[in-house]
Amino acid sequence: MSHIVATDGLTKRYGKRAVVQNLDLRVPTGCVYGFLGPNGSGKSTTMKMLLSLVQPSSGEVRVMGRPMNRATRRRLLADIGSLIESPPGYAHLTGRENMRLVQRTLGLPEGQVEHAVRTVRMHQQLDKRVRDYSLGMKQRLGIAMALARRPRLLILDEPTNGLDPAGIEEIRELLRRLADAGVTVMVSSHLLGEIDRTATMLGILSGGRLIFQGTRAELLAASTPDVLIDGSEPERANALLQAETGSRLDGASVRVPGLDDKATARAVALLVGAGIGVHGVRRDEQSLEDVFMDLTGGGGL
Amino acid sequence: MGAVHAEFLKLKRSLAWTVVALLPAAMAVAGAVNTIAAGQQPEDGWHTVWLRSAVFYGLFPLATGIGILASLVWRVEHRGGNWNALMSGPVSSLRIVAAKAAVVAVLAAAMQAVLLAAVIAVGRLAFALPGMPPARYFWISLLIMLACVPVAVLQSGLSMLMRSFAGPIAVAFLGAAAAVVMLMAELPAAVLVPYALIGRATQLGTGTFGDTGAITPWAVATTAIAAVVLTAALTAATTAVLNRRDTRA
Ligand SMILES: Nc1ncnc2c1ncn2[C@@H]1O[C@H](COP(=O)(O)OP(=O)(O)OP(=O)(O)O)[C@@H](O)[C@H]1O
Ligand SMILES: [Mg+2]
Repeated sequence: MSHIVATDGLTKRYGKRAVVQNLDLRVPTGCVYGFLGPNGSGKSTTMKMLLSLVQPSSGEVRVMGRPMNRATRRRLLADIGSLIESPPGYAHLTGRENMRLVQRTLGLPEGQVEHAVRTVRMHQQLDKRVRDYSLGMKQRLGIAMALARRPRLLILDEPTNGLDPAGIEEIRELLRRLADAGVTVMVSSHLLGEIDRTATMLGILSGGRLIFQGTRAELLAASTPDVLIDGSEPERANALLQAETGSRLDGASVRVPGLDDKATARAVALLVGAGIGVHGVRRDEQSLEDVFMDLTGGGGL
Repeated sequence: MGAVHAEFLKLKRSLAWTVVALLPAAMAVAGAVNTIAAGQQPEDGWHTVWLRSAVFYGLFPLATGIGILASLVWRVEHRGGNWNALMSGPVSSLRIVAAKAAVVAVLAAAMQAVLLAAVIAVGRLAFALPGMPPARYFWISLLIMLACVPVAVLQSGLSMLMRSFAGPIAVAFLGAAAAVVMLMAELPAAVLVPYALIGRATQLGTGTFGDTGAITPWAVATTAIAAVVLTAALTAATTAVLNRRDTRA
């Protein structure tokens, strides 16, 4: 099966407000899927529906080829590790005691729990109480708790939230190792930079809608970088283009968004026809971050 | 059994043990202090010591205490990502509900054991009573432990559904108050109210309420049967609610 997670028309309404609308997610088996969106865009709600923690208002979730719902969730969850919203862990217990709890609850062999702890490199810090852990250690313990059952799918909701750059890099490296070991990882973030180099697939959510799904390269290709036009009379050039294109002055240049090649040629012809001396036309280099910001309208809060 | 064992592991360093030890002990000591302060001796020996410890304990502190225990046991689950983690395990709702309720019921039983031990200690040390209390107080204690089970299930369910620590405890207190009224009025429907069940069991043989003056097989049997039926019904209801509910944001 090629998609470990697939949703069709997945929707969640609270009252009249749809917080997740018509999602058709496709998470290829074996990838790291970056699930991006600004605060409040519906990432956690979606992930909760994938785990059947929240029931969809309409639409369907299929995980590992089978429908995920109240009747099937128990069997499916045996193969899914997750960490939603904030890391789990009983603060009054040590890391070791927390791992023991997971082992007892799920009836796992000891070696499996041990392996999970080593994978997140927490074996040196197991004897501290969780309340004395740093946020990064809590996140890693939480991931170990999720990994203990040897899941085929790992769903991590903002595991890098609040971490320093070193902590973020550690999580990224961990996700790559997990993917190499054959675990499909779906990871959410409100910052593209935190996961874009780790994720091989991206899904971008904005206002509860999936506005992009594909690879990084496809994301870059899908966007049209701004055109910068340099000429003899920037103010007049801008005035001529503004109504139709939404252009604006940018230093001594006119910045025109959303022009494809043909439209660019037309704009230049218009300016030249109006007697403006055009001496430079170039595409602005656009980072993935810019594309993300464009798509999501500047990013929530 | 794994789930119940895991639940007990979570009780390490928990305040619940302090409640279990102090609440019933305080009741027995307060009963003794009152008796001594009034310049009295326990005329009826062990029976008086039992009355002065168990009667008030059974009317309010026991139900409230079970409420506190349930809130303590659930408090850790409402923190951080624990709720989501608990609910995204390959574990049935019934198992989650039953394991927690079992822990609360065992803690409530432990409270009753402490009460009995405190009664013995007070009788011997404060009033120099000879030997041990009559066997019936041990049997009544067992019945009280059984009667506590539906209250444990109910309070555990309330503390599961409410994030508030104090809310379910207030319910327990009000429930106990309503139970006292029902028992005084000798309403037959009291047998369906868990709080009234522990009121009834703790007052067996004390004459507090009209129908509990004597320990009859009928009183014991109805209490025991009601405890079993209520436990099953409340467990099923709580499980059904948990099954149908979305997890909170
Ligand atoms: N139980 C609920 N009842 C009502 N509204 C809710 C509920 N849960 C979430 N919402 C709303 O749904 C929207 C999406 O929330 P969600 O937590 O899924 O977003 P998110 O993308 O995870 O945001 P963040 O980056 O802040 O974690 C928010 O506006 C939130 O207020
Ligand atoms: Mg979220």
